[in-house]
Amino acid sequence: MKKSIFLAAIILFCSTTLFAAGTQYSLRVDGLSCPFCAYGIEKKLIRTEGVESVTVDLEKGLVIVNVQEGVVLTEAQLKQLVEDAGFTPRSMSEQLL
Amino acid sequence: MVRLTLFVVMVSTLLLSSYAWFPRVKEPPYQLVKTWGGKGDAPGRLNEPTGIAVSTSEVFVSDARNARIQVFDFGGNFKHMFGEPGDEAGQLGRPMNLTVANGELYVTDYFNDRIQVYTLQGQFLRAIGKPGAGPGEFNAPGGVAVANNGDLFVADFYNQRVQQLDANGDFIRQWGTPGETGVWAGEFNYPTDVAVAANGTFYIADGYNDRVQVFSSNGDFSHKWGGPLAMNIFGSFNGWFATVTSISVGPQGNIFVADFYNDRVQKFKPDGEFLNTFGIPSKGPAHTAIAAAVTSDDTVFVADYANHQIQKWRPGKK
Repeated sequence: MKKSIFLAAIILFCSTTLFAAGTQYSLRVDGLSCPFCAYGIEKKLIRTEGVESVTVDLEKGLVIVNVQEGVVLTEAQLKQLVEDAGFTPRSMSEQLL
Repeated sequence: MVRLTLFVVMVSTLLLSSYAWFPRVKEPPYQLVKTWGGKGDAPGRLNEPTGIAVSTSEVFVSDARNARIQVFDFGGNFKHMFGEPGDEAGQLGRPMNLTVANGELYVTDYFNDRIQVYTLQGQFLRAIGKPGAGPGEFNAPGGVAVANNGDLFVADFYNQRVQQLDANGDFIRQWGTPGETGVWAGEFNYPTDVAVAANGTFYIADGYNDRVQVFSSNGDFSHKWGGPLAMNIFGSFNGWFATVTSISVGPQGNIFVADFYNDRVQKFKPDGEFLNTFGIPSKGPAHTAIAAAVTSDDTVFVADYANHQIQKWRPGKK
C-alpha cells in the first residue's frame, strides 16, 4: 500500500512538472546573418502572446522560441511570423522543457 | 558586312559594360589604423554594434544588444554611454543607424518603431513616430537623415518606403509603398538607411535590392547604382553590393556605403562612380562592416558587427 502511494506521488509529481513546463520551438531559418532581419524575427516573435524568450543562434541558423506553460504555437502561426519578417522557414521542431 | 557590324557592336557593348560593371580602384588603399571594443557589456565593450555616427570630436555607436549608445573619442577611448532596454521615453529596443545633426543625436529605435533624439551628452529630448504603416508611422526604422531645414528622411524597413517628415514628425511625403517591394526606380526592397548631401540630394541604401538610389532635393528620382542595371543583382565585384546596410556622405561629397555581406565599405563619387573599397573579412557566419561614418578629415569609422568592435580607417597617401 505504501509502495502504491509512493508510486502515485511520483507519477503525480512528474505529470505536474511536465504540465508546468513550457515548450521550446526551434526554427531553422536561412539568412539570419543580417541583424536587420534577425532582429525583425525576434521582434515579431517576442510580441506574440505567451512567448517568454527568443534566441537567435547564428552558427546553427536557428531561432529558438520558449513559450509559457499551456501556450501552443502552431506550425502555421510560426511560419507566418517568420515569413512576415522576410524569411522562409526551413524546418521546425518542438520539445517540452 | 551586317554580321561584322553586329559583332563589332556586341564586342563594344561588352567592353563598355565591363568597364562600367567591373571598375578598378582609383585611389591608394585605405589603411586600418586601429580597432577597439570586443564582445561584452562593460563600458567600452560592445554586443552587436549596428550603427555609427560622428560629431566634431566623438564617435557614437549603437550597441544594439546592450540597448545603449556608447560614446568614444576619435582615439577609441570610452567617454560615456546612455540608454537601457525598454520602451519608455529614452529607453531603447535595438538602436540601429545613427545620425548627428544640428548638435543632436538621432537614433533609430528598431524594436519600438520610433526615432529618439538626444543631446550629444545623452539627455533624451523627444521621440518621433509610432508603430504602423500610416503616415508618420514606422515598422522597424533602420536609418535616418536630417536635411538642412530639419526635415527627416527615414528608412522605414518593413514598410518598404522612405518617409520625409518635418522636424516635428509630421508627414510630408514618401517614396515606396508599404507592403510592396520592387526593383524599378523609386521602389524598395527593405531600405536600411538614408544620407542627405549639402545640396539636398539624398541617397538611399536600398538594402536587399543591393543598390543605392539617389533623389534630387525636389524628390525626383535621379540615378542608382549597384551591379548590372542596379536591379537586385548582387555580387562581390567593385561597385556591386551584397546587402547595403548604411550610407554616409563624406566631407568631399563622396558616398560611403556599408556592403554588409561583402564585409567592406565602398566609396563612390556622388554620380555613382566607384572609387575605393576597404574592410576586414569575416570568419562567418556573421559579417563585419554594417555601418560607416566619416569625419571632416576623411577618417572613416566602421561598426564591425561580427567582431563587436569599431574599425578606424585613414585614406592611403598618394
